[in-house]
Amino acid sequence: MWLPILGLIAGILLGLLTDIRIPEEYSNYLSIAVLAALDTLFGGIRAHLQNIYDEKVFVSGFFFNIILAASLAFLGVHLGVDLYLAAVFAFGVRLFQNIAVIRRILLTKWSTNKEKLEKN
Amino acid sequence: MDKHKKNFSFIAISTVIGFMIAIQFQSIKEPVERDTRDLWQLREALLQEKELQSELISEIRSIEEKLLAYESKQKQSKEQALRDTIEELEFEAGLTEMLVPGVTLKISPILEEIQIGASVSKAVSPELLKRLLNELNMYDAKYISVDGQRIINTTVIRDINNETKIDGHALSSLPIEVKVGVDNIATAEKLYNRIKASKATEEFFTENLKLTISEPNPEVTIPAYDNPIRIRYLESLKADEGGNT
Repeated sequence: MWLPILGLIAGILLGLLTDIRIPEEYSNYLSIAVLAALDTLFGGIRAHLQNIYDEKVFVSGFFFNIILAASLAFLGVHLGVDLYLAAVFAFGVRLFQNIAVIRRILLTKWSTNKEKLEKN
Repeated sequence: MDKHKKNFSFIAISTVIGFMIAIQFQSIKEPVERDTRDLWQLREALLQEKELQSELISEIRSIEEKLLAYESKQKQSKEQALRDTIEELEFEAGLTEMLVPGVTLKISPILEEIQIGASVSKAVSPELLKRLLNELNMYDAKYISVDGQRIINTTVIRDINNETKIDGHALSSLPIEVKVGVDNIATAEKLYNRIKASKATEEFFTENLKLTISEPNPEVTIPAYDNPIRIRYLESLKADEGGNT
């Protein structure tokens, strides 16, 4: 599953080459969108490893999460409450959970592979 | 097919994420990346900022000065106008000391010509003095003082108990000095020549007095009139009386 990393590198290169900059006041939105996208990506990887992956859920989740996070941050700015922290917290927690699940799955896979090799 | 589709969406989404991260990185890191100036560039920038600062300070100062000027103008405009008028009037009335071009006349007794038995004139008669002053006025004299007494419009020269007095000041001891001020040095020159050519010297001589005229001097000090000016018969004009044009 090296595809996401390859895509990530390609995206970073593309972003650095295009030399696009966003205004300071919008960097909050972008950071939260990045967080939401990362959450979706790791969610997708976990689902793939657990064999419950659904294309529609993945793609719709990606866009929906980003829009939700950005609008939450927007609302927060206009209400005077740092609502984007809620999104950061929720996505952060889920990110850690997803990564933990992925790690366990990979660990079990690795140990089962090892056992199989030893049996053979 | 399904696997390809899955891979495609993974790649697409991770590319988008990478793109967003790169943009965010660039946006946030921009100031740090940009400040790579060396010492001399920094000095130049500092110089520019200082120039701007001094420009702003001078602008502030000039504006503050203007503000102050406006404030003081508002406060003093009437007062200042009155002061100016007073000064002007004092100047015209002869209440200020003048430093102008002019000549100095000296009236002294002719000691060497005195004959035995003849009376020694101790003073100038008022008639003679009046005549001299009239003559001087005829020759464009503007400011005159006799023995330190400023001659103004209301000055009286008269004989009180055989003493010649100018506004109460007795001309007792000879010699006396008559200072005459005019507007410019050319007029002073003219005045000097005309007095020399006039009969004044001879008129003084008949009274055993010598009138000596100094060369035109670019700076003659005419003292101010030091008595209060009394105006007894003058009244201020009301606006509806007489012409106010």
